[in-house]
Amino acid sequence: MNFADGEFELKEIQKLEGHTDRVWSVAWKPATGINGVPAVFASCSGDKTVRIWEQDSTGSFHCQAVLDETHTRTVRSCAWSPTGKFLATASFDATTAVWENVGVDFECVSTLEGHDNEVKSVSWNKEGSLLATCGRDKSVWIWEVLPGNEFDCVSVLQGHTQDVKMVQWNPSMDALFSCSYDNTIKVWVEDGDSDDWHCIQTLGESNSDDLTIKIWSDIDKSQDWHKNAPWKHVCTLSGYHDRTIFSIHWSREGIIASGAADNAICLFVENNDNEVDGPTYKLLLKKEKAHEMDVNCVQWNSGDRRLLASASDDGTVKIWELVRLSGQKL
Amino acid sequence: MQQNHYDILIFDGLGEVSMSSQTVNTVEDIFDSSLNLEDTHYKEGYSEGYTDGLSSGKDEGNQVGLKTGFEVGEELGFYRGCIEVWNAAILVEPTCFSSRVQKNIKQMDELLRKYPFPDPENESATDTIDSLRLKFRTISATLNIRLEYDGYPKASTIDKSGF
Repeated sequence: MNFADGEFELKEIQKLEGHTDRVWSVAWKPATGINGVPAVFASCSGDKTVRIWEQDSTGSFHCQAVLDETHTRTVRSCAWSPTGKFLATASFDATTAVWENVGVDFECVSTLEGHDNEVKSVSWNKEGSLLATCGRDKSVWIWEVLPGNEFDCVSVLQGHTQDVKMVQWNPSMDALFSCSYDNTIKVWVEDGDSDDWHCIQTLGESNSDDLTIKIWSDIDKSQDWHKNAPWKHVCTLSGYHDRTIFSIHWSREGIIASGAADNAICLFVENNDNEVDGPTYKLLLKKEKAHEMDVNCVQWNSGDRRLLASASDDGTVKIWELVRLSGQKL
Repeated sequence: MQQNHYDILIFDGLGEVSMSSQTVNTVEDIFDSSLNLEDTHYKEGYSEGYTDGLSSGKDEGNQVGLKTGFEVGEELGFYRGCIEVWNAAILVEPTCFSSRVQKNIKQMDELLRKYPFPDPENESATDTIDSLRLKFRTISATLNIRLEYDGYPKASTIDKSGF
């Protein structure tokens, strides 16, 4: 799909209210919004709850469930397991709750404790066999999912020298990425099968709030993860947001969405015009005043419509669709 | 060479007297010693201070060593105790802990045995105790127990900023 021809618009489909404090993060449930399955997503908030939203046949979203009375402080991050059977929620109360989704019900089946203080992020690996969490105590924890909703702590990774803000597994292999206020990104892999995880690369080329987007690639496509440091910085996008960028997400088609403290959402696509070595990106559009306050999170749905969910300090979640300016769907 | 002993009295501008005892070489100018007076006093003062310092430093070192040694010993003893209890549980009921936890307990045991008790200045001491603390947290997180050693220094305290 060539995005260079024609003009595009990020159309606001719906504004969802319900949370009584800032919304930190949203996560689409896997395999929804496609093949006739209604789109579902979770949102988590400073009001200590998680809300589950489902799209009905008219296309509008309504709140299907509120997961409350579990966390005693802000829920900062949420993540669905790859099959959508579980939802993990990370909270400032230093715990990570794991909820099992049966039909429309959600039951908290496990609480992972161990962090000394606020847990900031949680991520499932591609198989759904490992869960990673990180927090203000500068550590990254890896948990293994066992039968019977048991979780074994596999390893506690120390190395960052400041608050670790986010963890994310590589979608194709068991490599864990963590980023921190110490201005570095670390790549962690396991040594064989030994539970011994160590940092194979530290990417430290920028400040956390330098207002840029950086893109890295393992362009050498080296198979030997354990020996090489494969990730190289290939591109920087700057000048598009004038406040700190909080969230970034790649769609299935390679459209990058970013959300920032300037209340705006930007979309970028790969620029095929250039003759420069390596990929470059250009701005597709900037949605100013997307929210009334900071945009904390943007997430693309991976279904058949180009839906984007955004969460903000203003306590709302908005659903957007990327369409051609003529109003036609792409 | 003949050497004479001189006691020299010097009156400085404020009318204060200082005395310096020197053994000098008669061939040299006897006022050499008065020219070097500041230097001589400095050296004497230094050497007195050094001797005093040696003894009070030793006392302080003893106290610090006692305190640190006690703290380290108490923490390591706590880990030894935990390992003994866990091993006893495994003897009674070999399936009470998962194989991963049992492996971690064994590794913790090895670390503890490796700790350089007789050699406190061994650099591996800090690494070993850090690894021990990490292993302990990993095991207690899996077993879901809130066992804490009171003297354990925490990574950070409660932060109400909420980001």
